Amino acid sequence: MSSARRSPDGRWPWLFVLPTFFGVLVFYFWPLLKTVYDSFTDTGPFGGSTWVGAANYSELIADTEVYRAIVNTVVYTAIVLLGIPLAVLFASLLNRPGLRFAMVYRTLFFLPYVAMPTAISLVWRIIYNGEYGILNQSLGVLGIDGPRWISTEWFALVAVALLGLWMSIGFNMIVLSAGLKGIPGELYEAASLDGAGRAQQFRSITVPLLTPSIFFLSVITTIAGFQLFDQLFALLGPENPVMSKTQSLVFLFYSAAFDTNERGYAAAVAVLILAVVGLLTLFQFRLQRRWVTYD
Amino acid sequence: MRIPSAVNAVVVAALVLTAATLTACGGNSDTAGDAKVPDDPAQVTGDITYAIWDVNQQPAMQEIIKAFNQQYPNVKVSISLAVFDQYFTKLKTQGSSDNLPDVFWMNGPNFQLFAANKQLAGLDGLQLDFANYPKALNALYTLDGKQYGVPKDFDTIALWYNKKLFADAKVAEPTADWTWDDYKTAAGKLKAALSPKGIYASSDELGNQGNYYPAILSNGGSILKDGKSGYADPKTAEALQFWSDMVKEGYTPSGAQGAEIRGRDRFFSGKAAMMWNGNWLVSAALKSPVKNDLAILPLPKAPSGERKTVIHGIGNVMSAKTKNPEASAAFLKFLSGKEAALIQAKAGAANPAYTGTQTDFVNSAPYALKTFIDAADQYSEPYPVSKDTAVWNKLELDLLLPAFGGDKPMAEVGQEVATKMDEALGKEK
Amino acid sequence: MTETIARTTVTPAATRSARAERLGSNRLAHVVLIIGSLVMMFPFLWQLKLSISTQAEITSVPPDLVPSGLEWRNFTEVFERLPFLEQFWVSVAVTLSRTIGQLVLCSLAGYAFARMSFRFKGLMLALILSILMVPGQVYLIPQYQIVQQLGWLDSIQGIVAPGIFSAFGTFLMMQFFKTVPVELEEAARLDGCNPWQTFWKVVLPVAKPGLTSLAIITVLVSWGDLLWPLVITSSPEKMPLAVGMATLSGYQGSISPGVMMAAALMAMAPILILFVVLQRRVVEGIAFSGLK
Repeated sequence: MSSARRSPDGRWPWLFVLPTFFGVLVFYFWPLLKTVYDSFTDTGPFGGSTWVGAANYSELIADTEVYRAIVNTVVYTAIVLLGIPLAVLFASLLNRPGLRFAMVYRTLFFLPYVAMPTAISLVWRIIYNGEYGILNQSLGVLGIDGPRWISTEWFALVAVALLGLWMSIGFNMIVLSAGLKGIPGELYEAASLDGAGRAQQFRSITVPLLTPSIFFLSVITTIAGFQLFDQLFALLGPENPVMSKTQSLVFLFYSAAFDTNERGYAAAVAVLILAVVGLLTLFQFRLQRRWVTYD
Repeated sequence: MRIPSAVNAVVVAALVLTAATLTACGGNSDTAGDAKVPDDPAQVTGDITYAIWDVNQQPAMQEIIKAFNQQYPNVKVSISLAVFDQYFTKLKTQGSSDNLPDVFWMNGPNFQLFAANKQLAGLDGLQLDFANYPKALNALYTLDGKQYGVPKDFDTIALWYNKKLFADAKVAEPTADWTWDDYKTAAGKLKAALSPKGIYASSDELGNQGNYYPAILSNGGSILKDGKSGYADPKTAEALQFWSDMVKEGYTPSGAQGAEIRGRDRFFSGKAAMMWNGNWLVSAALKSPVKNDLAILPLPKAPSGERKTVIHGIGNVMSAKTKNPEASAAFLKFLSGKEAALIQAKAGAANPAYTGTQTDFVNSAPYALKTFIDAADQYSEPYPVSKDTAVWNKLELDLLLPAFGGDKPMAEVGQEVATKMDEALGKEK
Repeated sequence: MTETIARTTVTPAATRSARAERLGSNRLAHVVLIIGSLVMMFPFLWQLKLSISTQAEITSVPPDLVPSGLEWRNFTEVFERLPFLEQFWVSVAVTLSRTIGQLVLCSLAGYAFARMSFRFKGLMLALILSILMVPGQVYLIPQYQIVQQLGWLDSIQGIVAPGIFSAFGTFLMMQFFKTVPVELEEAARLDGCNPWQTFWKVVLPVAKPGLTSLAIITVLVSWGDLLWPLVITSSPEKMPLAVGMATLSGYQGSISPGVMMAAALMAMAPILILFVVLQRRVVEGIAFSGLK
């Protein structure tokens, strides 16, 4: 190779890249490879593994808990994704010209995102309490007999999802606000002159031009949704009778690895999570050509 | 041609990683070492870790360490605390890299897992006299004829009740001759009188150790017998049905309700009149607003006329791969001795296993704590465990707990548990 | 923003009435936003109320909306149960190290991937991005083994070590640097700067939004991180606040929910205050991350 073809930057790129690359390799990539390897073994809780081929995977396919965990994770993610249209609403309200206290609203909306997940989950646990929690007591005033949120099947999932939704709206709103600011005002002016009403402008200008931000949010919300663990653990608690029906995929991994000591099986679950999230992300990226407008 | 530095780096990284993995995985073929007590205390040095999970007991453990240092001044013991929910997760992570704490707490359900995987040191070299501890506990910490854990404390179950609430409801207080029928009848009367005030007749936690194991054993059923599940036994089903009926009649909260407000919290805030529970709650009882209204009696008898409780206790164990075998053995021996037991009893946080040291514990509260000791001596059976207890404990949690108070007969549920439990037991190596 | 102001002051009469109409209907917007804000704020306010209530007040039915006394005891009890101050400083140290570490390493790597060319660039990038979607719990045991080999158990380095290498951070910075005008760098090169000087003197100064974004996310994640520090640390004084709080909630004996709320409040407070004070920057940083 002639030196003319060599990188004009010389050795510099290596200097810049190697620390991160090496660190990621050692602390993340290698463990990932090891996990994939482990998924084909039967590993005891203290090491000592035997190769079992695809046995873990066939067990995975036959395990109803896995399907339930997938469903739970999907439902959770779907509910949290609802935070995006909600945030579009709030962001557009916030961006009204001449709206007073905009900064105050923005701060208040943003606080849930900044709270420590495990800490705030404890607060919500008390709020959701079936007997003395303020939620059910308020519902009682309205004549509604509230369910026992965190100890009833399906309601527990909704409870966790609402927590996730509550935490993410502020973040979504800020991203969308920035997106809104990026829309040139002239477009709106031209539309008003053409006689387009508020709603019409929203539909034909605002939303399409917001699609890049919406796309970004939906990708990261999906990835984050599939990583549900901390809030679930803190809100429900591991001894909760409906945990096995409400667990997310990551919780299933944790339970298999540390509760029932099946590290090989747990590794297979991890590979499954990776595959599902990878496919979903790929799917979203493919789909973006259809609905995302980049100017 | 020069090797590009990128490839170079990757190769080096790969070599480092391979080396790391090989050394990490290499330890499992060793046979578990045996603990041996050194001869000269002053010569023994080292920094060892002692892992525990109960923050309540930490002061007592510190005191024990102080007393230990009087004999062994050159050994430094640091306490490592992890919350019970994550204690064993952490231990298993540490065990995977041969980095278990030198000495640590163990419980029945996890014991065989660690022992069978050669993580624990044998105790022969400590020259302990195991007659000093309850037989059932020694059996709990023995695998294949060899004992690996020294009982530290023991818990049994008794009937706790609130005298004031009984008086308010004008119901006769329990006696030591009560049967399950008496319990249920009283619960009915208590419910009638107290539920308008939002108070439950009882707030049993529907836990295995506290509720259904004692019930099953009292009725002549079993949980684990000769390596097979006892849940298909009709006597077991009867005991389970007793609890299910209690929930159905509204005498005690359901499992779901218990997940939101624990039975003991209800009882200790005066919102329930009775509960079956263990002696680990004594210090909590003394801190509660109802502390002056409480009393303790032996459990009610099953229809068969018998009463039984399970006995369980934390065991102190030593890592088989400790880097400080001498210091660890010395510390473990001290933990197993009378002095350490007395310190525990005085602190009131746990009921020591060493025979004859329980007086301080019995005197630590104005309740009939001797009941727990009598239970241990007279009518307790060892807590049921197997090599991978966690797997079928999960079945109990998933299948039994939601079924209490439901319409399905507990005999059917029991059958389901038995089938799956036998499957899991069969998979154990 | 200045644009909007300029426009409204120059509005001709015809659109001035339109503007009045807009301002009037802002009332509805305010209503919606106020309701939304209340929903966002309520748990915090409730937490405040719970932290000064006794156990009896918390569990009472009907609810005790205005606490009769102020149970400051809850707060002092937190200090009795936890080495709170030590844990606070551990959290600070960990968060600071991790954030600075990521800022340095990810901006360097991100810049290289964005603007430099070198062999195996594609391969290395693909490797780094491949781990983006794997949840952290999966790495627990292997990472523990590595940290143990390094002898960094129960230490701040141990907690921080895996955290300063971030695929996400690298990706974020890479995307950002791609948006920096190439002319800047070309000018620097023409001036004779080597890549390092270009980076340091020319590109980095305009990297503020990207760095802020990364810093915010890292600070948040680091402060609340639970499972990894829990597994790595043994002594209560070496644990960060998140782990200390888990200790409280796992209390074997009874602990009043009020004490837990007090602990949670004190643990969250530093970050909440930080963000309220820096909110302008924070908002810019987050807004940026969405725009890439």
